[in-house]
Amino acid sequence: MDITVAGLLIVIMIAILATGLWIGLTLLGVAVIAMEVFTAKSGGDSMVLTIWGSTTSWTLTALPLFLWMGEILFRSKLTQDMFKGLAPWLNNIPGRLLHTNVIGCGIFAAVSGSSAATCATIGKITLPELKKRGYPDDISMGSLAGSGTFGLMIPPSIIMIVYGVAADVSIAKLFVAGVIPGLMLMALFSTYIVIWSLLNKGKIPAADTQVSLLDKLKAGKNLIPIVSLIVVVIGAIYSGFATATESAAMGVLGSLVLSKVEGSLSWKSFNEGLFAACRVYCMIGLILAGAAFLTLSMGFIGLPREVAQFIGSLHLSPFMLIVMLTAFFVILGCFLDGISMVVLTMAVLLPTVQAAHIDLIWFGIFVVMVVEMAQITPPVGFNLFVLQGLTKRELPYLAKTALPFFFLLVLAVLVIYFFPQIVLIGPKLMG
Amino acid sequence: MSRLLSLFYRLLTVLAALAMVGAFGAVMLGVLGRQFDFNIRGLDAYAGYFIAATLFLALPDTLRKGDHIRVTLLLQQLPARVRNLFEYWGLITGFGLSAYLAFYSGRLVWQSYTVHDISQGADASPLWIPQLAMALGCIGFAIAMADALLARMQDRSFFATAEGEIAHIE
Repeated sequence: MDITVAGLLIVIMIAILATGLWIGLTLLGVAVIAMEVFTAKSGGDSMVLTIWGSTTSWTLTALPLFLWMGEILFRSKLTQDMFKGLAPWLNNIPGRLLHTNVIGCGIFAAVSGSSAATCATIGKITLPELKKRGYPDDISMGSLAGSGTFGLMIPPSIIMIVYGVAADVSIAKLFVAGVIPGLMLMALFSTYIVIWSLLNKGKIPAADTQVSLLDKLKAGKNLIPIVSLIVVVIGAIYSGFATATESAAMGVLGSLVLSKVEGSLSWKSFNEGLFAACRVYCMIGLILAGAAFLTLSMGFIGLPREVAQFIGSLHLSPFMLIVMLTAFFVILGCFLDGISMVVLTMAVLLPTVQAAHIDLIWFGIFVVMVVEMAQITPPVGFNLFVLQGLTKRELPYLAKTALPFFFLLVLAVLVIYFFPQIVLIGPKLMG
Repeated sequence: MSRLLSLFYRLLTVLAALAMVGAFGAVMLGVLGRQFDFNIRGLDAYAGYFIAATLFLALPDTLRKGDHIRVTLLLQQLPARVRNLFEYWGLITGFGLSAYLAFYSGRLVWQSYTVHDISQGADASPLWIPQLAMALGCIGFAIAMADALLARMQDRSFFATAEGEIAHIE
């Protein structure tokens, strides 16, 4: 096994992916072939054992439960209330209600594990409201596309669970590590909106009628349900009361109770949410199952070691390695979804990352940021697809509106590279 | 026949949904147990079996609803006739792989049953029981793939058009 064979296998995999075969099955197929051709092992038996082992893990149980919670919230009126609660407070900042995208997504991300769900749930409310008041389309849509990606960084996070399971890193630690970078991204995005608004004064409509502080506080009461849900889910993890999996179950219970209280829970919406969660989990699970066997079979034939040695022989500085990986991910992200990207990378690149002495928690946060970029880059960018559904605008237009936020994410990667403490301080405090 | 199959996929999905509720229940029982000081052995393992059941039993329906993702970027650029070829390639390969998976997961159940394989966890369950859900789901998946392939050859529709919203993954 040398590096040309390794390269060839990777090329074959990408070629098969391009033919439109389902991603999970592609990974499975490549793994089976690699196993049969390069090893004396029987492929089928080790395949089912690996899949059985990886799909019955306690850690992974957090994933379907968080998905279910997201589906319940997606069908609730929680975000409508949230907008009512937030809007009066943001009226006087430059950019005014544009910040409801950033703050709204930031808050919703703390109960949702997915970027597209965050984008869709918040966008359903903010886009019509912004449009009605005459905010310019491009910055409204761009800031929504960008802010939707907080769903990945601010815990809970589906992609972090996938990464944590693949890289064997504590999910709770990843969740804690994501908080400060998430808040930093919110600050970056909001700052950008402030600067943009100061430069384009004429484009921002006048403030809504001013309300007294008392009324603001009254409106703020609308935030209580979602904030209490955040306290339950995230608080349980941070306080050490519950594991990520347990907090996911508590989140499901909490969101069911909330939607019952606000009256949006019916037998129909319960069923729809449950079945949708099953299908989304099934979709992700098939990829995870394929990836688990791919990781095993790649390990058997030694491909990740080869790649690590090859990249090691290039004697890249850590900074250059991160630059190259970023570029690689951004290109890959043009064609693949985030989860497939993470599992493929972990199957092939984990030893490379370890050989470069990169902290696996830091790398996880880095990967999440790069996947955030991938969410808003065409042709395959899930947030753009969501926006397309919401606004019926063309993909290239939407991609252009999101471009400034792409660069802000690049900036954020540089910041965490030069100040890794931003990522590492949270898990360290946790001990 | 196709109505019978639809019913079969639907049944598996309902079981998948029940398993999801089961996983939720198992995890919640664990939390409650810690609070009120009772302990049911092996709940962690049960939660795992339940989510595996959800995953595999939902395979056929997820395929039908078109929710399994694939890269369609290149396909969309191709002329209809070439594209049709690729669709066949996908369905045939998909059927092959899902049948392979179905065969070996069935075999796993059989092996676990004959050697009395017991879970290593505190639950000490006979493994063939939870593995049955995986086998059943994978067999359903292979059947659905064959169904999809036949449907394409006979020019009838297999893939359901989008129904209801789905909040999506990423």
